[in-house]
Amino acid sequence: MSSNLPPDDRDPGPGEPPGTDDLLAAELVLGVLSAEARRTAQARTAADSPFATQVSEWERRLVPWLSDVEGVAVPAHVWQQIKRQLGWQPEPAALRLWHSVGLWRAATGLASLAAVAIWVTRVTAPAPPPPVAAVQPPRAELAARPVTTLAHDDGTPGWLASVDTTRGTVLMVPVPGAPDAQGRVPELWIIPAGKPPRSLGLVSVDKAHTVTVPPDSRAALVPGSVLAISLEPPGGAPHGAPTGPIIAKGALNT
Amino acid sequence: MSEARARPLSNAGAAPLEASLEALLSQVALGNRAAFETLYRETSSRLFGICLRVLPQRAEAEEVLQEVFTSVWRNASQFQPTRAAAMSWLGIMARNKAIDRLRTLPPDTRRTALEFAAELEDQSASPSQQAEALTDRERLEHCLEQLEPRRRSLIRQAFFAGLTYDELAVRLDAPLGSVKSWIRRGLLQLRACLEP
Repeated sequence: MSSNLPPDDRDPGPGEPPGTDDLLAAELVLGVLSAEARRTAQARTAADSPFATQVSEWERRLVPWLSDVEGVAVPAHVWQQIKRQLGWQPEPAALRLWHSVGLWRAATGLASLAAVAIWVTRVTAPAPPPPVAAVQPPRAELAARPVTTLAHDDGTPGWLASVDTTRGTVLMVPVPGAPDAQGRVPELWIIPAGKPPRSLGLVSVDKAHTVTVPPDSRAALVPGSVLAISLEPPGGAPHGAPTGPIIAKGALNT
Repeated sequence: MSEARARPLSNAGAAPLEASLEALLSQVALGNRAAFETLYRETSSRLFGICLRVLPQRAEAEEVLQEVFTSVWRNASQFQPTRAAAMSWLGIMARNKAIDRLRTLPPDTRRTALEFAAELEDQSASPSQQAEALTDRERLEHCLEQLEPRRRSLIRQAFFAGLTYDELAVRLDAPLGSVKSWIRRGLLQLRACLEP
């Protein structure tokens, strides 16, 4: 393969540029140093502030490359393992402050969806693995988006949904309740008027999170469509249609 | 459950995300577990992708991802918004830990294929494909394009594969001195272009 090398690289000529601190910083960031040289350089960043600055300068230069890397869904056991490693005990039983629609309406008025997510998750426990469905970042600003209540048959709210038609996402905020005794998991469906349900993936029973609507279902995010939750085997309905009971639903009112 | 979607670390719409990630990190630094969990949900798939680029074995990449997040929990207070964006800080940490792990693996378990060819260029999004990308990304690409194509390809591969000079030389069947010279000159050229 050396024949692939351009002539000036097959023959180094005057030799490689002398190793300066700045080049060492670049090599550390690029990741070409051997194990030992890497350890030595890393130790230097802890003790040598000018060198550490050179390293962060190179990080800043090369970090845009990381935006080329595609996200990959993380298996749920990783989160469990992290909690074990941190020695986190299950938190006390969830505070049941939540069965008030008024409270939820107040919550949606908060300026930041992230704040809502933090607030909700702080008081709920114990935590199952976070949903691995595609999760979109919370928007810092909360446009005045209507909230759809997905109510149980007895009228109590089960989930609150806020649809962002621009981004094709649905923020799902559950009212924490007991998990299904049979181990089934809630799956979210969009049901366009007069059409069969389409899956939007599994949702959490105690964590707020954002569901990304597949592009071909985004047209269904209109008034008249219904959001519904069914109970499905772990992993979701196997054939793309609900197999379990519908436990909560609500019509979009955008 | 669909695959997590690829999202640039920085793009035109990233300001709110960065702002909320910074807010989350500052909460994590205060010991807020819920913020930590939200941060995990928001960033783990991208960080996992970064780990997998360096460590193709999933088990290794999963362990490194765990390390990254336990480290974030313990060291979130070291994050300095003035020095780096939150996602950059996290991405660099994931990459560094993945390379550290790679260095501990015996060579025979590492990936063997190193494409030293122009097809790698195809993997990089062209400016037109990344219309939403921020200036930083475009500037890096622009400056890379100033490099001789194979030099560019080698530097990019070194970055993504985390291979040492020695390993690169072996894989390319090229003298170590040439590989070093090549990469160092490329880096100097890159720096000169990025910061004239």
